[in-house]
Amino acid sequence: MGKTLVVSLDGKTGDPVAVNDLSRVDVSARVGRIPRRITFANGSLFETEDNDAVDLWLRSHRRIGFVHELERFHPRLIGVVLAIFLLAGLIYRFAVPALVEVAVLATPPVVTQWMASGTLISLDKTVFSASDLPEVKRREISDAFAGIAAVSVRGVDGYKLNFRRGGPIGPNAFALPDGSLVITDELVELAAGDLDMITGVLAHEIGHVEREHSLRQLYRAAGTAGLIMLIAGDIGSAGEDIMTNGAALLALSYSRDAESEADRVSVELMTKAGRDPAAINRFFSLIEEKYGRDDDSSFLSTHPGTGDRRKAIEDYAKEFSGSKSP
Amino acid sequence: MQQAVFGRAANLKRGDFRGSAGEYFGIWIVNVLLTIVTLGIYSAWAKVRRNRYFYGNSFVDDHSFEYHARGMQIFIGRAIVFAYIILYNIVLTFMPFVGIALGVLMLLLLPWIVMRSLRFNARVTSYRNIRFDFTGKTWGAFVAIIIGGIVALFSFGILAPFASRWLYRYIFNNLRYGDRPFSTDPKIGSLYLIMIVGMALGGGLGLLAYFTAADSASFGMDDDPTFQIVMAIYGVLIPAFLLFGIAAIFYRIGVRNVVMNATTLDTRHRLFSDLGRLRYFWILVSNLIVSVVTLGLMRPWAAVREHRYVVTHSGIVVDGELGEVVSSIQQSGSAVTAEYLDLEGFDFGF
Repeated sequence: MGKTLVVSLDGKTGDPVAVNDLSRVDVSARVGRIPRRITFANGSLFETEDNDAVDLWLRSHRRIGFVHELERFHPRLIGVVLAIFLLAGLIYRFAVPALVEVAVLATPPVVTQWMASGTLISLDKTVFSASDLPEVKRREISDAFAGIAAVSVRGVDGYKLNFRRGGPIGPNAFALPDGSLVITDELVELAAGDLDMITGVLAHEIGHVEREHSLRQLYRAAGTAGLIMLIAGDIGSAGEDIMTNGAALLALSYSRDAESEADRVSVELMTKAGRDPAAINRFFSLIEEKYGRDDDSSFLSTHPGTGDRRKAIEDYAKEFSGSKSP
Repeated sequence: MQQAVFGRAANLKRGDFRGSAGEYFGIWIVNVLLTIVTLGIYSAWAKVRRNRYFYGNSFVDDHSFEYHARGMQIFIGRAIVFAYIILYNIVLTFMPFVGIALGVLMLLLLPWIVMRSLRFNARVTSYRNIRFDFTGKTWGAFVAIIIGGIVALFSFGILAPFASRWLYRYIFNNLRYGDRPFSTDPKIGSLYLIMIVGMALGGGLGLLAYFTAADSASFGMDDDPTFQIVMAIYGVLIPAFLLFGIAAIFYRIGVRNVVMNATTLDTRHRLFSDLGRLRYFWILVSNLIVSVVTLGLMRPWAAVREHRYVVTHSGIVVDGELGEVVSSIQQSGSAVTAEYLDLEGFDFGF
């Protein structure tokens, strides 16, 4: 207020070039070594690369920002880097799961229905063909399925079982977030009449639906990618492509914890329905025989190795029936 | 070599980038820290500092560009969009039909937002104290983005060059430097040529990468049912993304060259771009690898490297002397004025 900035040309006396009210002069903030701009009230501009002189002059007239000081190449930046790694770890460990829970709670039910029907339609168009199981077989499986669905949280109406020929995806079953389950003919054929085994696999899929694993996984993948893009600000166009597509791909798989959780739900539902609680283990053995391999930790896979997994299921089956019966 | 190709090479003013990785590292890492501790709010101001660094270090004829946006403008723009999405979700939960209407409205608003953000980005950019401006209308954005996008999508990319042509005609024919218009008319034949070359290069490199990866990673089937479906989908999707992604990069590079070389300022001065397809692709890929391997710490180096390549391979072929051209524009009275300052800054760029 009331301060005047007088601009004179070097080495010349006489009238100043410009007279300005200091409070209306805009001095651009310092960023690296880029030229500093002093914009006067009438729109004219003074540009200089002598950033230090501008700062020296500014210091005696107004407050100057601390951000540039922080940004200067200085050993202190190592501390900044360490702080960021620490904070990033905390965000991934605590903030992302919390945000995922909030997002799951806030997701309108319509959205999950749209997602699910969209996925099934596109899979029908690309991968699946109509089931050729005999009607009797389908009825038998549907009845067994209704038995476990009835003891689940959502009840019989919460689920719909679909039969499809899997084609390239082979013996498989999976669940969509709205409660639609799909079982492939190949899986039924592989089971060779072992109805408990089929039911066990379906109960596992019910577990995924009940605990909303696919929605969680979707939010976790999308949220992590989104946070990285927001925080890093600029990750390059190739990086952005990979982030968005990679998140979409990751959203399709479940985490190790989600699989174990679904295994436990399978045990619980099977016990409640009066079926063999560890029947799903026979499915794992069959698959293992068929593909002839038991690696307890395969690379790329985030899933528990089958050995550990079967043991965990057996233990839980004993524990659960023990806690229920006495 | 360019001198042989362009007769008036004496007046070709190439860009010149003076930023350094070390200096940008400090700016970037502090941006990251402050964005985290302010729960993301600082990201708007971070964007300003980042853009000021890159614009301010991009020189043509010894004068740099300048980025004038205020953090608050960008923050308000983002807050508006964020609030709309929250509102949309709340309404969708309690009144699904109103929610669907809001969703459709969002699609209709998209061209307007694109138009506003093009205008914002043009207006906050200046060179030698003369600002750029963008005069496009919402309908133009609707044709260029929505119709263009639909045409490209439903023709499975076959008509993509037409969509690109609409888009860049919309952008450049509405762009002004001071009061002087830019104009562009990329030939559709050149764009198709770019697409074919892009697909060939993308297909070749993508297949090569895929077979190398498939060879080295001959792991068997996993025993988990969900894992199998995931592998089955990944097995199809990853190569598809890869092929598409690589072809898209080559296409983007080629289109940039074609469009810029077909663009004039004030009908006399031609823009210039000679990005090398393979060279630029290599820069993008190696940047990505280096950034990932160093947990992001080399990203500033990568950003500066990419920017330097792009800036030094862009320029303008001036008819006459650039200094004279600029002062004639300055005289026609279109320097920075307050009317240019939008309240909100939608900055969702391309």
